[in-house]
Amino acid sequence: MRRPEAEVLCPGGTTLEQDHAAESLAFEPVASAVEGLVPRVEVSDPGLLFVPIDGAIRYYGGEGAVVANLARAVRDVAGAGGRIGLAGGPFAARWAAAVAGEEPFVVDDDRQFLASLDVDVLGKEELVATFRWLGIGTLGELASLPRPAMLSRFGQAGLHAHRLASGEDRRPEPRDLPEDPSVTERFEEPLVLLEQVGFAARALSHRLMEAMKENGVAPHRVEVSARAADGTVRTRVWRSADPFTDETLTERVWWQLRAWNESAGIPGGIVQLTLAPADLSGEGRQLTLLEDVSARIEAERAVARVQALLGPDAVLEGRPQGGRDPIEQVRWHRWGDDPPAFERDPGAPWPGSTPGPSPALVPPEPQLLEVEWDGGMPSRVRMRSRWEPVLNWAGPWRKLGRWWQGEGHVDRYQMVTSAGALLCELRDEQMYVIGVYD
Amino acid sequence: MENARNVPSGHLTLEPGKVIGLVGPPGLGLTRVGLSMLAASARTGPVVYLDVRGWMNPLAAWEAGISPERLVIVRCSDRLLWPKAAAALLEGIRAVYAEVPAGVREPVVRRLAALARSRRSALLLRPLGGDLPAGVAYVRYQGREVTWEGPDAGHGRLEGRRLMLEASGKGMSGIERVIEVEDDGADVVRMVSRLAVAPAGRVAG
Repeated sequence: MRRPEAEVLCPGGTTLEQDHAAESLAFEPVASAVEGLVPRVEVSDPGLLFVPIDGAIRYYGGEGAVVANLARAVRDVAGAGGRIGLAGGPFAARWAAAVAGEEPFVVDDDRQFLASLDVDVLGKEELVATFRWLGIGTLGELASLPRPAMLSRFGQAGLHAHRLASGEDRRPEPRDLPEDPSVTERFEEPLVLLEQVGFAARALSHRLMEAMKENGVAPHRVEVSARAADGTVRTRVWRSADPFTDETLTERVWWQLRAWNESAGIPGGIVQLTLAPADLSGEGRQLTLLEDVSARIEAERAVARVQALLGPDAVLEGRPQGGRDPIEQVRWHRWGDDPPAFERDPGAPWPGSTPGPSPALVPPEPQLLEVEWDGGMPSRVRMRSRWEPVLNWAGPWRKLGRWWQGEGHVDRYQMVTSAGALLCELRDEQMYVIGVYD
Repeated sequence: MENARNVPSGHLTLEPGKVIGLVGPPGLGLTRVGLSMLAASARTGPVVYLDVRGWMNPLAAWEAGISPERLVIVRCSDRLLWPKAAAALLEGIRAVYAEVPAGVREPVVRRLAALARSRRSALLLRPLGGDLPAGVAYVRYQGREVTWEGPDAGHGRLEGRRLMLEASGKGMSGIERVIEVEDDGADVVRMVSRLAVAPAGRVAG
């Protein structure tokens, strides 16, 4: 209910501003108590935290034991009224906690549980209004729609909503950055005053987000770490369903530092502050927020239109995977679908793989190539009707087949001809082109 | 003349609303030059490779510095659908590398170039047969010659190449220039020299 409506209904009421920092301070004992039982607590907002309990279930001997211990710990520091929800993903767990009463609420099937919830829980006012206008009232109705249609009509926001409604949560998009992305500030004089702490929080958050923007990413999780003058180190992870912005990150760092500061969690003041981002998303851009959103939606719509024009199998994305030949090292999937798990471990050594740089062009099927040999060395290759001299060559790199299944070996060559460089393979005494270094 | 904006001192780059032409037979290294140009745009948004032959290898794009989640590959071998697909992409994508199938009519290419300019999208055109219509490309790079380093009669491996490009067009102030590009397989394709202005059809250096 908006304030003017509330004032009409209750003219004598008093309006209080929400004080997130004070709430964060009041919530700190709860977070600490939960952290005492299960590590890697992630605070989302003052009053709401997520705990990954996979490891704790093994440690405590079962789901029930973990939940009971957590409930007891929360009750001991905050009294009755705490709510605990347990589910396969954070989104379902958050709404399981909302419907829980005194007793923890455990969800067996995320999708089934979410199906009955109102679309309001998605929290996107405009999107939800459109869903209602279209007659979609629950997450179950939303999840039953085809995902490509959602993507085509609503872009990435629709895809995200569909994933949440289907119990899949946000797709993590971990991206490698060239260097350690964390930022640290050391203070010669320990920060004791709240104003000093606030200034440090703002400056360091800004530094981190600027570094993130340069790489076109934004974090969904940030670990705030503060070292006290007596050597005590306090660490807390904050998470957000949407990527952090400069402003939202500054707020959360400030709330956390204020909570530690006022609860005497940092004896002697702060001498070092570190922010370490995690779970990076490509949603962060160098543009302003509005430009960013509109550009992203435009790009998604353009690609969705082409997908509708050419068919879903014509619009593709690739992910790296292991393999010995260039064609094996790409795992393809349709644009808009989740990247599949790789078939071959990219971290494995893959002895006998062709050396880089990779050919820019790889034919879907090996192309037959006529080669003239001279004393065991390739001397000419036939390109259409012309014979081109081989200027130089390297190899062979041998790939052993499954000999126990009757497969022979394959020798790969790099050949530099007067018409360009080729990656070829010699199989059953016949040469094939498997890549062009264009 | 050092004032050509598309030929900065370090790298070959793309600009919003500008059309770049890459002309030459496969095997010269023009695809990698184009991919390295796309890499800078891929840092701020998705980029698209319109693949007519179905031969594009994303490994080369990743090596050129384009992150996998920012690269979309659209395969379209149909000459009639190609203009529609290219136009739809230019409506929303900031940087597009488009192979141009043989037989696409000149007015179609001109209309796409005009669309790229009006939408402020960077467009790289790589004709697979013939050349681009005159005046379409802001800068037209014609591949002239490539020299490979590394292989030696069975020993070694392909390590790097030096590519001679002839740059011309409005972005070069109407003056043809031969530039040399070095590609060592890392994520940067460097322009190593700006050779003297050369008459058309003659490789300098």
